[in-house]
This record gives sequence, structure tokens and C-alpha cells, in this order.
Amino acid sequence: MAIEDMAFLIPVLPALAFVITFFLGKKLPNGGAIIPIIAIFTSFIISLMITLNLLQNPGQIISQSYSWFAILNVGILIDPLAAVMLSMVSFVSLLIHIYAVGYMSHDKAQPRYFAETALFTTAMLGVALSDNILQFFICWELVGLCSYLLIGFWFEKPSAASAAKKAFLTTRVGDVMFLAGIILLFADIFRIFNGSIPEGIYVLRFDEIFTHIPEIAALNTQIFGFEVSHLTIITLLFFGGAVGKSGQFPLHVWLPDAMEGPTTVSALIHAATMVTAGVYLVARTFPMFIAAPHSLIVVTYFGAFTALFAATMGLVMNDIKRVLAFSTISQLGYMVLGLGMGAVIGITAVGDSMFHLINHAFFKALLFLCAGSVIHAVGTQDIRQMGGVRKVMPITFVTMLIASLALAGFGIPGTSIGVSGFFSKDPIIEAAYLFGESTENWLPYLFSIVAALLTSIYIFRLIFMTFTGKPRTNYQGHESPFVMTIPLMILGVLALVFGALTKTGFGRFLEETFTNNFVNLDIHALSEIGKYHLVSHGAGNEPLMILWMPVIVAIAGLLISYLIYGMRVIDMSSIVSRKNPVYKLLYNRYYQNAIFTQFLAVKVVYEGLALAGRAIDRGFDWMVYLIGHIFTEASRGLRILQTGVVQNYATSVVTGVSLLIILVKLILEVF
Amino acid sequence: MIPLFYYLALSAIVFSIGLFGFMTQRNGIRMLMCVELMLNAANINLVAFSSYNGDLTGQVFALFSISLAAAEAAIGFAILMSIYRVRDMINLDKINVLRW
Amino acid sequence: MLNKHFTIMQVLTGVYNFFRPRIAGMVVSILFLAIVLISIGFTNWNVVDQIPQDPMDQSNIQGIGMLIFTDFVIPFEILSIVLLATLMGAIYMAKGDGT
Repeated sequence: MAIEDMAFLIPVLPALAFVITFFLGKKLPNGGAIIPIIAIFTSFIISLMITLNLLQNPGQIISQSYSWFAILNVGILIDPLAAVMLSMVSFVSLLIHIYAVGYMSHDKAQPRYFAETALFTTAMLGVALSDNILQFFICWELVGLCSYLLIGFWFEKPSAASAAKKAFLTTRVGDVMFLAGIILLFADIFRIFNGSIPEGIYVLRFDEIFTHIPEIAALNTQIFGFEVSHLTIITLLFFGGAVGKSGQFPLHVWLPDAMEGPTTVSALIHAATMVTAGVYLVARTFPMFIAAPHSLIVVTYFGAFTALFAATMGLVMNDIKRVLAFSTISQLGYMVLGLGMGAVIGITAVGDSMFHLINHAFFKALLFLCAGSVIHAVGTQDIRQMGGVRKVMPITFVTMLIASLALAGFGIPGTSIGVSGFFSKDPIIEAAYLFGESTENWLPYLFSIVAALLTSIYIFRLIFMTFTGKPRTNYQGHESPFVMTIPLMILGVLALVFGALTKTGFGRFLEETFTNNFVNLDIHALSEIGKYHLVSHGAGNEPLMILWMPVIVAIAGLLISYLIYGMRVIDMSSIVSRKNPVYKLLYNRYYQNAIFTQFLAVKVVYEGLALAGRAIDRGFDWMVYLIGHIFTEASRGLRILQTGVVQNYATSVVTGVSLLIILVKLILEVF
Repeated sequence: MIPLFYYLALSAIVFSIGLFGFMTQRNGIRMLMCVELMLNAANINLVAFSSYNGDLTGQVFALFSISLAAAEAAIGFAILMSIYRVRDMINLDKINVLRW
Repeated sequence: MLNKHFTIMQVLTGVYNFFRPRIAGMVVSILFLAIVLISIGFTNWNVVDQIPQDPMDQSNIQGIGMLIFTDFVIPFEILSIVLLATLMGAIYMAKGDGT
């Protein structure tokens, strides 16, 4: 049986696992965890085989399409980009599921948990292998639904319920933009075909969209007196969706609150499934972005700013999971920045960004699972109450250390020595340098390098405060069971060596996605439509200082962290106090909660929209009441006839029948 | 031989009497009796037409209708008996607990 | 009392007293009756000339019996069930609470 014929099983098996676990999970041991694990394991094997096959025969992409209705279709598209994503999602999800067997062993709602995570994985796999934007959107929404269900998994807690609502509503803002983009795209393609779509052409398929990029780019519209290409509008709307799902700057507020779910859910959301969907969307539609003027610049600035912005907040959080949450936002900023670098390095940007996405998935899943392990053992999430955990949890400590090194990006430039984060983050920062060099715009580079320093500081602050020193409270710590530590070790090994093993092949593999694959695209021609000037020489030819810069800031961050939190040469209380305005600003997360809740929610949405809505509602009410009133008054007289006595009715019936007969007779006689 | 008109006229008169009684009487048993009168007027019609058409089906239907009338009367009287037991009267226009 | 003062006036008064509160029902009934009678009278009924009367067998019992047990056997059986159900229902309702 050819591997192409099994491709559809990748999302179908976890979906079946969802149904089975949901209905039969209660009767099975461990809440039926074995069913999703087997299903996702099979999906992973199939994905891996497809990926390996693609590595050897780059031409053998899998593209299957079936007519859904009218000019829309459902289908599977597995090119290098999708294959990598599928393998990563299924692999990380598999490890998290195995880990969850141990982590959720005390929870009474295990079947629901495993069913929902299986559905979550299904949705994300569906996103990865969609071959048209509509199916992509449907799976994307399913991801949003599952995130709602899982963040609110402990819905008895009011904070979890409100966090779930917050996540759902915030991402909805992005989703609406995404949908608007799809509608606009559909309308434009419809217009290009002059309304008559030939048989067998499905307008929302990616290859169909990419073929028509020049025509869409040629369509212009006036916005505030500026000529704006439709392609720019569409891509920016798509990017709006990505901002919502991937937690970029204005819509990142849901991500830290998503920590209310079980830690495994956080790991799943932050590493494998949800937040990568936004980056994947931009990567998937990258040919559109590169042909759209200004879009990639916007993407660049959003990414760079988010990377720095989130890293500053990560510095002061005391909740172990919140530190990791801000770290995720920051790293997603790097990925988005990497995609934005398409403005200078072209298609290589997709390779860089996806490489960082995969590596990030490994080490961030590892960080979350380690944090879950610590929380599981210590019973608190506050790092101020931990300390000295290294002694009781050696395996967790080592794996967490590896993950932190990977996050901070340690390695030696020019060699193959380094952790995975090093090989993926550095190309992005170097590309930012190239961007600065070619456009004289150094802000993204500056942001990314400062964010790298802060990343190193906050993650080692976490390590030092949690694992070293003396216990600050009495806790009964113990190492986690094997079912939890084995996934940690697997992920640890991957976080350590994956980057070094694949650093050269990965980018080249992904570049084939758009160049000589299911649709032949000339990226250079497209970038000329978008007015981007690609730099011919690739990354790696910068001055030596630039190559070493990320490593230097990473080591500097480690030293600063060690001095403050390990050696305690600087008294923390002088920095960490309510009087320090910077600390206060960071600790209150730039008052975004106040801005979003007090101003946006209360003032704008409630007092503005809701009160206006109430006035309109009153108007409608009055009209409805008026109509009702007229009929009530009119029927008051008729009510007397309605006596309820059968005899009166019988009398009326007979009278009526008699009169009717007379009438009919008369009419028949006269006419 | 008696013309068909006489049978039909008899049936119409009996029906009208039943109708008059049903419309005017307040006593439950009297009303039931009037309903029986109307039913039997219909039976007369059935049998008359059956005879004058040379087809026995109508008479079979009359038999069925008589048995259904019996069933209806039985149920009706049973209901009236239970009403009487509760309310000590069977004046149907006073029994309005289920009226809106 | 009836024997002593039985006059035509008394009968008429009694009839009048009976019908006076029921005048509406009276009118409707008579109207209905008139219409039906007129309708019957002015209709040409398509009937056989003569009721078939077999001198050997004056009764039609046999024919009815044959029909009931051949063509109408299922309605007949259903009717029997209906009667049984009626019987049980009537007994249940009329029985009361056993006092």
C-alpha cells in the first residue's frame, strides 16, 4: 500500500480516538489514554514516513483533492512544509499524551481530558495538511474551540473559566480578520475569473491562489486616499488571524492566562498545536506575503516588538508557568520576525522560521513538561517558594537545564556545536542584521538582540530560583514516575541535538515547498511585485562580531542571572520593590489588563456599544409592544364570543353551516 | 312502498330534535341522550340508503356505529358518574375547572 | 292537579315557558331542519326502483353476517377491542375509590 493512500489517516485516527475516548473512556484504565496514544503514534509514523520519503524524492508531494460542493473542495496537501509540521505536531503531541498519563493520574475527568487533547491534535493536524484555505480555516476554528475547552478544563475554578473565555474571545478577534481575508480573496479570484469558474478548478486551493497572485496584486482599492493593493489587505488580514492565534503584540493577552489549564495543556498549546498555527498560516501563504507590498515589513515590526515586549515581562513573573508563557510569546515573536525577514532573504525566511518553530516546539514542550513535573512534585507554581529542587528531582533538573540552554541559544558559530535553539534563532537575528544593512533600519535587529539578552536572563533566573539554593518552603518533593520522565528525556535529547543534525538540510528541504513543487513559483518575480529587494548572499557572511553577538548576549544573560539570583551579589530587594517604577510597570504587565479591561471592555464595549445597543433595543421593544398592544385591544371585544361552553360552539357551527348552505343555494339558483 | 324521502325526513327531524336538545340542555345526561339521538338519525340514513341502493354495506356500518355509540355512552356515563361523585351535580356549564 | 285544571291554555303556557329561554336554539334547529328537508326534497335520489325482496328469504341478516365476517372482519375485530377497552375504562372510572 502506497504511503499516499494512508495520508488521510493522519487526522482521521486521532479524530476516531476522540470519539472512542469520549464515549468509552470511563470504562478503560487511565481514562482510555491508550487509545489517543496509539492513534497519534500511528499518525506520527505515517507523517515520519512521508517526511523521509519527501527527503529522498522531493517531487513526491501528496496532493489529493475531492469536490466538496460547487467550487470548493476538501483535500490533503503534504509538501515539505506540511510534512515537517505534521511530524512535529504528532511527535510532540504523542510525548505530551504519554506524559499526561502520569500527570493527570489523579484527575477524575481523565476521559474528557484525553478526548479533548485528541481532538486538539486532530484539529492541528488538519490545519497542517489542508490544501485549501477554507478547510484550513475550519480546522483553525476547531483549534480555537479545543483551546477553549482545555484552558477551561477545570471549569469549576472561576479563574479557569474566565481564562478560557478570554482566550476564545481574543483569538476570535483575529479569526474574524482571517475570515474577512478569505472572503476578500474569494471575491477577488471570482472577479479574476469573471464569475465563470471552469469545471475542475477549486478557487480556494493554495495552488490556485498562488497562481493568481499577480492578478490579485494588480487589483487596487482606495483607503484613506492611499492606493492599496488587495493583496496587501488580504495578507494583512491573514496576519491579523496569525496575530490572534500566535499571541502577537496586541492580542497576546490570552496566552499568559491560558496557564489556568493543566500544565500538559499549556505544553500542547504553547509548543505543538495552537500558537504555531498562526506562524504556519503565514508560512503557508508566504508567496502571497512576499508579493504584497509593505506586508512583510508590518510582520517584521510586529514580530520584533513582541519578542522584546514579552521578554521584558518574563523577567519579573513569579509564576513558573507564566514565565514560560511570556517566553513563548517572545519566541513566537522571533518566528514572526523570521518570516518578516522574507523581505530581505526571500524564501529562506520560511526555512529559518519553521526551523525555529520546530526547535521551539521541542524545547518549549520540554520546559513546560519539566515545569509540570516540578509543580506536580512541589505543589505550588510560585518560584519564590521553591529552591533546591535539583536535589530531589535530578532528571527534571538536567532536562530543564538543557531546555533552557536551547532557549537561550548557546553554541559556537561556524561549527556544528550548539543546542537546537542556537541554530534556529541565530539565522533569524542575522537576517535581522541583513535587513538593517539593506534598508538602513536597525530597529528589528536591536529589538531581537536585546530580547535575546533578556531571554537568557529570565530563563536562568527561573533555573536558579527553582533548582539551586536552599528550599524556601517545606515541600515534599519526589522525582516523577517514569511515564513522565521518559518523554522529558526524549525531548531533552532532541532539544540538544536536533538543531545540529538538521541545520543545513532543513532550510533547503523547506525551500523546495514553493519553488519546484506542487506549484512552480518564481520567488524573485513575486518579490518584485511586492517591491522587496532581496539580498543575494545568504546568511553567514556577516562580520564575525555579528555572528558571535547572540552567543555573547546569551552568556551575558547567564552571568547577570547568576550574579543576581545564584550568588546574590546584588540585593534583589532594592530592585524588586513596589517603589521601583520599572519593576512596577513590568510586574503589572504594562497595565495592559487595566487598558484592555477597564478601558476597552468597560468604556468602549460596555458603555459605548452596549448602551447604544440598549437604546436601539428600547426602540424595537417599543415597536413590538405597540403592535402587540393593538392586537390585544382589538381582540378584547372578540373574547366575549369565546365562552368555552361546547353548546354555544355547537350552535354557532350549526348556524354557520345553515347559512352557508343557504348562501350556496342562492348563488347556484341566481347565477 | 314508502319513498326514500320519508326516511330521510324522519332522520332530519330526529337529528334536529337531538340538536335542539344538545344546544339547550344543561344536564349532562340529557345532553348525552341528545347526542345519541343525532347518532341514530345518522343510522337511519345509513340503513335507508343501504336498502334503497341494494347494497348491504351501509347496514354493516350502521351496526358498527351502534356499537361505537354504546361505547361512547358507556364512557360518557362513567365520566358523569365520577363528576357527580365529586361535585354532587351534573350540570355541565357549572363544570368549568378546566376552562382557561 | 293536572286532571282538574287541564286546559289547552295551560298546555300552551307550559310549552311557551319551556321554549322561551330556548328561543335561539329553537330558531337554529328549525332553520337547520328546514334547510335539510328542502334539500332532501329537491334532490333526485338515484335509487333502485324496488327494494329487492326475495320471497324465500325476507331477512338480510345472513347477508350482513357474511359481510361482517368476510370484508369487514378486521374492523369488526378492532371494534371488539375498542369495546373491551371501553368496558374496562368505564368500569374503572365508575368504580370510584371502592367505598
